[in-house]
Amino acid sequence: MANGEKQSLVDKGKWFFNEIKDHWSTPAEGKYVPYKEYKDVIIGVGANYTGSKTLEYIGFWSSCFLIMHHYKLPYLTFSVIGLLNMPLGYITALIWWYVCDNLGFLPKKTEKKVYLVYGLMMAFGISSLLFDYSMLFDQSGAFITMLNSFEGMNATACFKTFGTHFLYSGWVGARNIFWRKKLIPKYGRYKYSLYCDVIPKCIMVILIGWLPVYNIADVATRVWVANLLFATYNVFGFGNVLEECSKRISPNLQERILVRSYPVKLSHIFNSILAIILPAIVGSLRYEWADINFYRWVIPVTFCVSAGFTMFLAGRIKERIPQPPIEKKVQIKFWDGMLGVLKNKYLLINTVVGLIDSLGNGMLPFATILYFYTFRLSGLPYSLLVALISFAGTPPDLLSPYFLKRFSYKQIMIFYQMSRALGNVIIAVAMWTLGDNLALCGTICVVVLFFMEMTKTVPTTAGHDMGVRINDYQMYLSGERLESFAGIFGWFTGPITSFVGLIIPIFLLKYGFNSNWEILFFDGSRRNIVVVPIIVDAIGFFLMTIPYLFWDYDNKKQNMVMEVLKRRAEVTEKKAQEEGISVSGGYKG
Amino acid sequence: MSKKEKKQNKANDWGADVELNIPEDEIWTFQVPGLAAPHINKPYKYYNLKKALFVIVIIVAVSLSIYFSVLALQNDTFDYTETANGIEFSKFSNTGYLTELEIDYVSDIEYIPGNNDPATNFKVVKDTTKPIKSVRQFTLNCDDKIKTITIGANVEFVDPKAFYSCWALQNIEVDENNPNYCDVDGVLYNKDKTEILCYPCDHDEYLRQKYGYEKELYRDEVTPEYERDIQIYIVPSTVTKIGEMCFNYANLRKIYLPEGLKTIETLAIFKLHERVDQWSTHPSLENVYTYTAENVSDPHFADEATLGDVYISLPEGLEYIGSDAFSYNQNLSCVYIPESVIYVGHHAFWDTCYKEDGELKGVSVMNVAKSESEFTNKTEIGDNWIPQYDYLLFKKDIDIKYETARQ
Repeated sequence: MANGEKQSLVDKGKWFFNEIKDHWSTPAEGKYVPYKEYKDVIIGVGANYTGSKTLEYIGFWSSCFLIMHHYKLPYLTFSVIGLLNMPLGYITALIWWYVCDNLGFLPKKTEKKVYLVYGLMMAFGISSLLFDYSMLFDQSGAFITMLNSFEGMNATACFKTFGTHFLYSGWVGARNIFWRKKLIPKYGRYKYSLYCDVIPKCIMVILIGWLPVYNIADVATRVWVANLLFATYNVFGFGNVLEECSKRISPNLQERILVRSYPVKLSHIFNSILAIILPAIVGSLRYEWADINFYRWVIPVTFCVSAGFTMFLAGRIKERIPQPPIEKKVQIKFWDGMLGVLKNKYLLINTVVGLIDSLGNGMLPFATILYFYTFRLSGLPYSLLVALISFAGTPPDLLSPYFLKRFSYKQIMIFYQMSRALGNVIIAVAMWTLGDNLALCGTICVVVLFFMEMTKTVPTTAGHDMGVRINDYQMYLSGERLESFAGIFGWFTGPITSFVGLIIPIFLLKYGFNSNWEILFFDGSRRNIVVVPIIVDAIGFFLMTIPYLFWDYDNKKQNMVMEVLKRRAEVTEKKAQEEGISVSGGYKG
Repeated sequence: MSKKEKKQNKANDWGADVELNIPEDEIWTFQVPGLAAPHINKPYKYYNLKKALFVIVIIVAVSLSIYFSVLALQNDTFDYTETANGIEFSKFSNTGYLTELEIDYVSDIEYIPGNNDPATNFKVVKDTTKPIKSVRQFTLNCDDKIKTITIGANVEFVDPKAFYSCWALQNIEVDENNPNYCDVDGVLYNKDKTEILCYPCDHDEYLRQKYGYEKELYRDEVTPEYERDIQIYIVPSTVTKIGEMCFNYANLRKIYLPEGLKTIETLAIFKLHERVDQWSTHPSLENVYTYTAENVSDPHFADEATLGDVYISLPEGLEYIGSDAFSYNQNLSCVYIPESVIYVGHHAFWDTCYKEDGELKGVSVMNVAKSESEFTNKTEIGDNWIPQYDYLLFKKDIDIKYETARQ
């Protein structure tokens, strides 16, 4: 290396050290985040992310190991439950959005009414668990015989599941108003939930491992009791909220991307390490993935430790989106919220993409099948392969700022969808033609998965950033981010996606896939069960490129939107102070 | 503009300072060029019409979705398909209360009006003009209610995967006049008993009732008599093939195979298990024996002396071991692969070995009759056919002993 270059590297190192030292507690001019907060992001987001990832081992979905190995619930039953919950979901979503987008601050009278509705829902839910309402109907009538014919269900289980959803919705809704009002002014709108949910969540994680609900012999009873157990577990959240908070850590676009690309990425290393350790522990258990001790000991301990670290650092990570103080924020009327989001063209494009994406709904997780049923992996080999594939995305992600500068969001997303389509086609061809040559077929699949992961992270970062930008744009349009009201698009797509999402599970049932995953050990069945959905998914990815051709939201527009938001915050705060109102929760940028 | 300048321009665009002089009274109305105008605290045009349209669209969409989803999810109890060979029984969806299933004629459920007991308010009606000719794969899939299946005289073909994971199935009975199939004490065979097709998952319950055991004995409570009556099965000497998934999930500790057996199909003896307590199960299969006696037709074990010479081994003459044939039988202690074997499928003995307190348990050594070169060159072997055990955080194949004699 030439002397000059060496000198330059040393200089850069020195500059970097001084930069960190000088701005450890106070940010540089034009920036908003001190480096001390970078450190908190690394550890805090890391713990929160690790905890939330640990919870992915527990869930009321068919591909959860706990459900696969222990509960053995029929695959199509999850679609039936989704269908039963759909109508009520629409009603509860209405109230939920209204409450959320007003941050829990409702007029007194409205608040009382909403509490009453939630209370009645809970009362009905509890009563339907105590009594069997199906007995009120004619047992030989068309309605009851129809309920009895659903896969894995009977009329009693259907009514109990329906009641559980009432109980769940009422309970979650009432908590939502109560805690938002109490905690958002103090902790902000993204991380407040940690403070009210973390202890009950830890208790539920322990209970899920220890309650032997999976031993109930009758499948319909097992379904509704498991649904009740997991609904209770889901009342309390532990989402990756600190990372969400870090996405809003600065109004400066470049700083946001910087935080997202370095400290946030670094924070994921804790989970990467754990993702190696946990399967290695599984490998040392007598029955490996099927060993219940994994859910009794390993998961609860891991989660509780992560939760502890998260709570310790949560208070140190701040959100800094320009917004008027809570006391002076724009009040969103229900219908204004609904119509407001419908004006957002970019949400509409994302909705069309999501709609096409639903073609792949209901397919089994291909990687899981590859690891468990083709390669029979467990222990360290499993960890290493998963880590290798996950790692594939890390180097490109470090270059995210470059890619995001060099290419437009439209170009990145079109490339992403095309690469998925191509990858899926290669996997399908390999599975179809080399299905019983496990080594060759598996190797091809792993290589393709590696490249797919490699080409995924930049679009994911771009997508997250664009998500925040779309919310900024919504705030410009409507005076509030309307993140919950944005769910209105799901109302239109929901009926379609829920029906389309039945296609693959019905196909899978025909090929022998129900509640016993071990049919996947059968080469012929595995091929049918995996390949057909993959082809459908590939077609979906190809079609998903079309809506992105209409995307025109660029950096210049975003910068102008941010200027408008800053100006609004500035003016409203000034007015509030002139009126002598004490303000909290605002940020001028 | 040169390429470099264009790039530079893009980079500048990223963090470009934008100056917008917005007057205080226009902060809620200022429109950014190229974007829609803000709409804050202002009335919408056609407000009520938009609301009504919105509600109608949602209600229609949800109703249609629920209607079509219910149609897709609703199952008839009996589903049939017309094929070139006649009527095929293609799908059975239990009402939740059917415990016996007769597969002979096209059937339907008829409910009895006024009877509000779901367990007795229906009857199965048959159309005797429409005999069932075949049973498709996965016709019964993970059913946990059906205890007895009766196969009628006209059934010509039953797919090996037709009764997959029927957890409560205790016995299969075949009409005496059926020219293609028969049953031996509740176990399905082809007519000339050269092929054993299905040993029901819960056949041990049937045997307990037959031999007068009041309840299932857990692993540590098993007596020699109980083991003899319930957990030992003798495959008759006529059998040359064990069908796909034949014994999977059965509660058996020992299986005696005839010397004339040629084929053990895919997943044929997969994951046999017994109860340890109310909550959990444990691998049960301890040994697979070969016997030499001829004319053995009774599957009930009485005395080893009646079976001629008995070896802890797979039968001499065996040619084919399908993939996953013996997988997940961790209690299996010894395997001997005879000289006649020409095919061993992938994962044939997967997870039959494990480590406990530093000691290898289960199938810790694979005994092979052929020499190493003969076995490698003349036998087609699938990936990972040999069991593996935990070794320094990785997996290691167990040792193979070539040129061994059977015990």
